[in-house]
Amino acid sequence: MFYLVLVALVAGFSLAQSEGGTTIERRVFEIAGKLRCPICVSESVAASSSQIAITMREEIQEQLEAGLSESQILAGFQASYGDWVLLEPPRRGVHLLVWLLPVAAGAAGLVLLIGFMRRWTRAAAEVPAASEAELERVREALDGDVDSE
Amino acid sequence: MAVVIAALGLLFLFGLRRGSPDRIITSNMLGQPVPAIELPVHSNLLTQYGSTFSLPADAAGRPVIINFWAEWCEPCRVEAPLLQDIWEAYGDEVLVLGVQTLDRGRQAAGRSFINEFGLTFPNVFDGDSRSGRAYGLFGVPETFFVNADGTLHEKHAGILTAELLERAVGALLN
Repeated sequence: MFYLVLVALVAGFSLAQSEGGTTIERRVFEIAGKLRCPICVSESVAASSSQIAITMREEIQEQLEAGLSESQILAGFQASYGDWVLLEPPRRGVHLLVWLLPVAAGAAGLVLLIGFMRRWTRAAAEVPAASEAELERVREALDGDVDSE
Repeated sequence: MAVVIAALGLLFLFGLRRGSPDRIITSNMLGQPVPAIELPVHSNLLTQYGSTFSLPADAAGRPVIINFWAEWCEPCRVEAPLLQDIWEAYGDEVLVLGVQTLDRGRQAAGRSFINEFGLTFPNVFDGDSRSGRAYGLFGVPETFFVNADGTLHEKHAGILTAELLERAVGALLN
């Protein structure tokens, strides 16, 4: 019985350890994925194998283990590199343009499209009525076509 | 329609600017205290400076020129003699500190670099590049001009010239 309890305890402890390790690694890569590698071209710290990216991932892991939150960790890197280091621009100041301009452009496009569609449907509906003389000419032309066949 | 095109054009230009660290030569730390440094001194300079060099302690109240370099970096080879000239001319008034970084496991190559250029100013080894990261390094060479009070006066990304160094030293001493 004692051995059974011991085995269960060891198994439980190992499982908890491995889950903890996996969680912290996932968190490291999540946070690293939000940071731009300073010496790479269009690569995140998570994706880069450069030395400085490796160092940054190590720092993230240490800071997570020390109990820092994601925003505290990101703020630390911003202190060195500024907002540039964030792959997703912060939603304040001039960076708001990045978030607002696509929405504004989409809305403006939608308004233009609706305007054009209204104009087209109105133009189609406003076909001027033919006069009796014009209708007579059309009838004669059609009759002529039928006779010639 | 013109407004939409202009807005998208603006967004495109903004995106281009954000992705170009080589054009950002300023630092987010201008006017702020620079991160402390405590790194091992290269073994060929141990007798002059001891085993570890620390900032701000070892600056002893002097302004500091911190030059981040790597052994494989060609511009670093061009500017090393210029930094030695500044050290020989102003060493009593301005500390020059070389930091070998982005060069993990290549301390021996760094020692050869120091010997090749006869560098006598303190040079340390940033083996895991943590000091470089703390200073917001985008590459090498990068040089930080630090006021005597420990705040960042100026940062220069890229190769130094003798004129630039003279001007910067003059600004640090005024």
